[in-house]
Amino acid sequence: MARMTAGIGCSHVPALGVASDLGKTQEDYWKPVFAGFEWTKAWEAVARPDVVILVYNDHATAFDMKVIPTFAIGCAEQYQPADEGWGPRKVPPVIGHADLGWHIAQSLILDEFDMTIVNEMDVDHGLTVPLTMMFGQPDAWPCRVIPLAVNVVTYPPPSGNRCWALGEAIARAVASFPGELNVQIWGTGGMSHQLQGPRAGLINQPWDNRFLDGLVGDSDALRRIPHIEYLRETGSEGIEMVMWLIMRGALGRMTRCLHRHYHVPASNTAVGHIVLEPVT
Amino acid sequence: MSEDIHACLAELEDIPGTRVFTAARARQGYWLNQFAMSLMKAENRARWKADERAYLADWPMTDTQKAAILARDYNRCLDLGGNIYFLAKLFSTDGLSFVQAVSTMTGMTLEDYQAMMLAGGRSPDGVRSIRKGR
Repeated sequence: MARMTAGIGCSHVPALGVASDLGKTQEDYWKPVFAGFEWTKAWEAVARPDVVILVYNDHATAFDMKVIPTFAIGCAEQYQPADEGWGPRKVPPVIGHADLGWHIAQSLILDEFDMTIVNEMDVDHGLTVPLTMMFGQPDAWPCRVIPLAVNVVTYPPPSGNRCWALGEAIARAVASFPGELNVQIWGTGGMSHQLQGPRAGLINQPWDNRFLDGLVGDSDALRRIPHIEYLRETGSEGIEMVMWLIMRGALGRMTRCLHRHYHVPASNTAVGHIVLEPVT
Repeated sequence: MSEDIHACLAELEDIPGTRVFTAARARQGYWLNQFAMSLMKAENRARWKADERAYLADWPMTDTQKAAILARDYNRCLDLGGNIYFLAKLFSTDGLSFVQAVSTMTGMTLEDYQAMMLAGGRSPDGVRSIRKGR
């Protein structure tokens, strides 16, 4: 049976991808950001997940205003890095796991989560930047990926509670997959940032760090944070942190923290990163 | 955890210097955002760069929306229903990064904005709520 072995939270700032692609990670500005991921790169080389369920949001790339799925799961064999307006990132294609993807999709729908199923889409920086941060620049990504896209652009996004519950349902779905698979789940986006209006540039380090604290242990208090608190305290784009709750919900009642990193700024954004494992 | 939708929507308008991308804004800015989305394609970018006004003529937007786009007045675009991830296609076509484009909305110079970010970013103190002034 498939096992959910770890969860990772991390920001997916597009500039991190650019810094990596242009070989700037050792420059003074970027060095401390990337240094916090070295531990995880070494750990992943040993952990060797077969599949990563990668929770992210599409940034007006695969989905425009025509169709806005709240939760969309990728069931394709493969996904290409998207051209976001300046040419696709020169990173490997993302190989899906259609068997597990379809199994999770079916299980979630029977479990009363009415998922949108995606068979063709390109994936933007929201998905490829976390792969870069965790795996560096390999010729091929070392695992298969199931993209799980969440609408956090057009209001209302799903509630934190619903995200957490979806994570719990994903864990049940993975546990019922007949096949030996080492599965990780990553929640991406955040942390505090606002990319719009006169209030742009907002960063709230104490709040972000309390959020990181709350992912560890047996508390589920984070699931009850309302949208308006993310907006007021962490900026309009801080709402992306609800996606971390899908990851946390999938890890069960109790977690242990293996690694944690926080840095301000990367471009307009606070970068947060945490590696968790379920405690059973 | 069901919430009163009217109370929720009212709260979204209570954040200083922020336009939350509500359904009302999404409807108002539908074509503005779809126009921006069209700039994802290289051939469209070429046509846009050759003659911006002619390109806009194909899109059913208001004159105010078109003027805001031509002026690259991003705060005005937000007021008229634009969303930053869609507007990103426009400023990327201009060769601007997120930091460069975002700083234009703050009334700060790029240098001052970058210095603020390096110093830890903008504090939420005083810009959490219009009503409560905190």
